[in-house]
Amino acid sequence: MPGASLSRWTLTYFACALACLVAAEALMVMGFGYPGAAIEAPETLILVHLVAIGWLSLLLCGALFQFVPVLVARPLLGEELPPVALAFVLLGLGVLLSGFAAMAGIIVVPLEVMPLGGLLLVIGFGLVIVSLGRTLWAARPLAMPARFVVVGLAALAATALFGESFALILSGLVGGEAALSLLLNGVPLHALLGLGGWMSFTAMGVSYRLLAMFMLAPETERFSTSIVLIIGTLTLVLIAAATPFAMAAGGGVGGMLLAAAVTGLCALGVYGSDMLALYRQRKRRNIELNAVAAIGAFAALLAAGLLLVFLLFAGSLPAHVGALTYLFAFGWLGGLGLAKLYKIVAFLTWLECFASVLGKRQTPRVQDLVDERHAAPWFGVYYAAVGLGTLTLLVDLALAFRFFAFMQLVATLAIIRHLYRSRELLNVPADLRRGFARPHPFWPQPIARKLP
Amino acid sequence: MSAEKVDEIREALKAVIDPELGQNVVDLGLIYEIEVIDDCVVRISMTTTTRGCPATGYLKQAVQDVAWAVPGVEFADVELTYDPPWSPSFIAPEIAGLLGGR
Repeated sequence: MPGASLSRWTLTYFACALACLVAAEALMVMGFGYPGAAIEAPETLILVHLVAIGWLSLLLCGALFQFVPVLVARPLLGEELPPVALAFVLLGLGVLLSGFAAMAGIIVVPLEVMPLGGLLLVIGFGLVIVSLGRTLWAARPLAMPARFVVVGLAALAATALFGESFALILSGLVGGEAALSLLLNGVPLHALLGLGGWMSFTAMGVSYRLLAMFMLAPETERFSTSIVLIIGTLTLVLIAAATPFAMAAGGGVGGMLLAAAVTGLCALGVYGSDMLALYRQRKRRNIELNAVAAIGAFAALLAAGLLLVFLLFAGSLPAHVGALTYLFAFGWLGGLGLAKLYKIVAFLTWLECFASVLGKRQTPRVQDLVDERHAAPWFGVYYAAVGLGTLTLLVDLALAFRFFAFMQLVATLAIIRHLYRSRELLNVPADLRRGFARPHPFWPQPIARKLP
Repeated sequence: MSAEKVDEIREALKAVIDPELGQNVVDLGLIYEIEVIDDCVVRISMTTTTRGCPATGYLKQAVQDVAWAVPGVEFADVELTYDPPWSPSFIAPEIAGLLGGR
């Protein structure tokens, strides 16, 4: 089959990720976890890991299985690994969440299941790293966006190992002063390596290429992009290097994180100017909804950066770290994820349904699979809900937050409905889709067997 | 005679649409060269808008199929090249406006 770089399991990853997003938003609407519970409460940990692993990590893994081969112009190595990795991650997530639920007294399971869940997650993400890492290794020397992915994968490994360490300590299997100190001081490192290193850095790298591709902007490698890569990597190294300080009761983590905040904000500033340049230099004046909706994510990233600076100067970061994390995770990462999903789902569906008859009969364009006019307002509702939700968290209005979480859930479901309509070819004019089989919404097509 | 065949093939290739931009590969400037040998063997040099695009294999196959289906063509070979890399400046002026080009 020509075009063998079509990733078979990406849509399955996306479906699982979206299911976790809806579940997390539904929990927020019900008042489960923060802000109703403390930020370190097990209920909040359920919510956080459902979002970080279930929604954002699965989304990113699915996208990388499709786009790392695009970044390096080579097929994915270890094509059999994505479904195995998905099974391990889903199982690991389920077991980990059940451990948190046991801590919260919701269910009764021994706490020892948590390190088991962590181990399953380490194996699952390890398989992801092996598959993508082999593909990247074989494609050296790497172009700039692919180097971001390499750093992101390293951060994923560190995040997963941090998580497993915490699970071992929480379950009581590992003890001692250093372990307890790591548990007390190391959580910000785990969160920053995950949200900042693995998710943001990878998303930033891929965005350079994807936005240039879809907006017909020049794909030249800028000096400024190297600056983002270097300063961003330095930021992550600073965060990782704070680990010994976190294990020693004497402190020092704060100083390292402050230094990382300064370098991290510098990297984000240069990245922001790069993105602005990409939008300005685009040859496609009428940009598609995926690129328009991504602007909301960039605005959320800018707002999160400004909020961080404000909270640092006001000395109230510990009190509002929940609001900042919510804005970062749902506004920047989640917003960018939903915006890009809107394009990727249509593009992959087009490849599955129509690519094989290209040139032989009339086919729709990728844009014929989407209905941007009706989908666009829902992205607006989503970003408005996240923005207002952040404000309610900042001023401690828990009930109002649940209302905006409901608004966010409704917008998410509406966007998912549009993704479903793309998969089912419901937006394609009837005469253009006649005779074409619709793909399964999220399960890969069986591989055609060759005749002996 | 060969020049006419080249034009015939170029016209036929307009049936192949780049799914992302919604325009045919000829007007998008994706077809770099068409060579006809002995009036029956065709060699085409083409590119894609972006290197590593998942649709690359399908586009190449479609160009080969369409060229081969032109009457008189007995063999069509398609070579993919990124030298030079495609640029929006390769788009035919007639359709540049359709993409909102500047």
